Amino acid sequence: MSRWQRDVPIYNQPLISAPFLFFGVLALIGLSFSAVRLFTGLSFTGMNDQYAWGVWKTFNVMTLTALGSGALSLGIFGWLFNQKQLHVVMRTALASSILFYATGMFALVFDVGRPWNMWNMMLPWRWNVHSALLEVAVCMSAYVAIFLLYENLPTVADTFYVKGSPERRKTMDRWIPRLRSLYPFMLGFAYLLPAMHQSSLGSLMVIAGPKVHPLWQTQMLPALYLIQAVVCGFASVLLILLIGSLAWRRALDVPIIGDLAKFMAWTSVFFVVVRWIDVLVRGVAGLAFEKSWYALLFHGENLLVLLPALLLLNGKLRRIPRVVFVTSIFTALGGLLYRFSPTTFAFRAGDPSIYFPTMPELLMCLGYIGLAVTLFILAAKLFAIMPAPLSEWYASVKFNKQIHPELRIDDHGAATDH
Amino acid sequence: VYAAEGGTKAPADAMGLLYDATVCIGCKACVSACSTANGLIPDTTGSGGLWQMPFDLNAQTKNIIKLYQSDDGKQSSFVKKQCMQCLDPACVSGCPFGALQKSKYGIVEWHANRCIGCRYCEISCPYDVPRFEWAKFNPRIVKCELCRHRLADGRQPACTDVCPVGAVIFGTREQLLAEAKRRIQSHPGKYYQDRVYGEYDLGGTQVLYLSHVPFAKLGLPEAGTESRAHSGSKVHEVVYKGMAIPAIVYAGIVMILRKRWKEHEEEAAHEQKRTGLPEQL
Repeated sequence: MSRWQRDVPIYNQPLISAPFLFFGVLALIGLSFSAVRLFTGLSFTGMNDQYAWGVWKTFNVMTLTALGSGALSLGIFGWLFNQKQLHVVMRTALASSILFYATGMFALVFDVGRPWNMWNMMLPWRWNVHSALLEVAVCMSAYVAIFLLYENLPTVADTFYVKGSPERRKTMDRWIPRLRSLYPFMLGFAYLLPAMHQSSLGSLMVIAGPKVHPLWQTQMLPALYLIQAVVCGFASVLLILLIGSLAWRRALDVPIIGDLAKFMAWTSVFFVVVRWIDVLVRGVAGLAFEKSWYALLFHGENLLVLLPALLLLNGKLRRIPRVVFVTSIFTALGGLLYRFSPTTFAFRAGDPSIYFPTMPELLMCLGYIGLAVTLFILAAKLFAIMPAPLSEWYASVKFNKQIHPELRIDDHGAATDH
Repeated sequence: VYAAEGGTKAPADAMGLLYDATVCIGCKACVSACSTANGLIPDTTGSGGLWQMPFDLNAQTKNIIKLYQSDDGKQSSFVKKQCMQCLDPACVSGCPFGALQKSKYGIVEWHANRCIGCRYCEISCPYDVPRFEWAKFNPRIVKCELCRHRLADGRQPACTDVCPVGAVIFGTREQLLAEAKRRIQSHPGKYYQDRVYGEYDLGGTQVLYLSHVPFAKLGLPEAGTESRAHSGSKVHEVVYKGMAIPAIVYAGIVMILRKRWKEHEEEAAHEQKRTGLPEQL
């Protein structure tokens, strides 16, 4: 059984691959439509005055940033709860988080009608501090632009250092200790801020009152959104690790996969318990047993995360990667569905009006996702973000020397031993 | 600003409308006058381009008269729909950069230079009033602002000015409330529940309604006296009060992290010595 010990770039495979091209083309299509969108209004979308928020907000931002919460989930468990074994997969989470978040925020630029007024964000005296949406806007921007960036700096800095000239290394030697000394203080914000805006994403819909079906509408929405973000964070990191290892032929570290699955399972159970308590306390549990699509959706969301969790609580089962893979998919689906519902399926606007995204709208939505995936594939090949056994690290060092003899890579005299 | 019972205190200079559904004859003069006064191109799509015939409030329509009919056709009533000028508006509470603000006369005003076009006002408004110019390159939020440009000239809103039967009248909220109660008192049993809609509903509004049919039938939600702005921001207001809770959480996280970080640095140095491999953060 192999253990993951270091993050190693995907060094021995070509940069351009079929998935890269597929998602790249998806991104290009989405970006082309986005460019056109800059010169048009929003009437080409399916949105209307009753369903004023379409998939860009409700899916790319409110739903997909849950999948981008890996940095939060792993950070809390790895650093705060001292699960040191998670450190080796931290970079996978950090890279995926910044990409999911950044593309989500990018989608927002095309969603809002008057993006040129977004500079108001720079003027704190214009902030309406009572607004949950302001909290999301400011907090999410700061998180991506400052704290996620900071957390991802070491990944990029490594490569720059290794491939750098002596002068560059000297400069970096001067700066890195300064940046490092900030680490606990920056990480404090890196966990506080996503906790704030992931919960505020839930707060957004509370003001809509009865427009959101009572099974979803609750003062607990912020708490439930946050817990679900942590669940989805684990699910997405698991899926990236499993799919990435499969695609790039890396050995799996079964105990770490198992631990991640365990944490995902416990947070999933916690989510369902809190949700049921909330529904019972508010006295709307009866609605869950009516013959309606809402009841079906409600149970669907819960069971999609609960049943996988119950399987994964079994120590033997979560050591079978195949089981973890399938259960992570279901958990992610359940989590995303829960995060999506209050703004869509369970959102009942006054008029008998309906929203369904138009083709260009959907292609843009998929384009932003494609962009995140393309950039992740690129990052995995350029930087050390995918975990591997130590032997892989030495092999990569050797490999790089062969194809780039000019590289000044320290192999610490150990490469030949392995 | 939230009174313990019965919603929010009205601004001292609050102006508004009183619409009496029992008086309205459905002539829609107010709809047409509103378009003219606000420079809106009449929406003729519903009539195939023949005459103004909006189906609902929209980007060209800030004011509309609708007809309610019961299924058996025995009960009917007109209803006027426009911004209610809430005392504690959900749209204002949610608007991230204060593009919607309660201003002079308690009018909920929209300010172009602050609006990013996020449409959260449309999500939060309990009356489904704000509209968005979907087709425009630089879209605005369209909603009744009580003809504030006319008030500035000392004129009254176009709809009350033109109403031939006085079904909708303009005045201070106090005057209108007194007038509504006077009508109820002089005609007991005529009005639904002998009640003025908007006195307390959803925190209270500056546009008040009298009706002979249930308010819910006219599209006025019967949803208690608590404003959506209040019920929608309870948790938010507690969590972010003076940023005390975030500050405490931050301090707690940093306290733990500093300890962990120290341990980590020692371990990393030790590992590097042992294996010669630099640490990966």
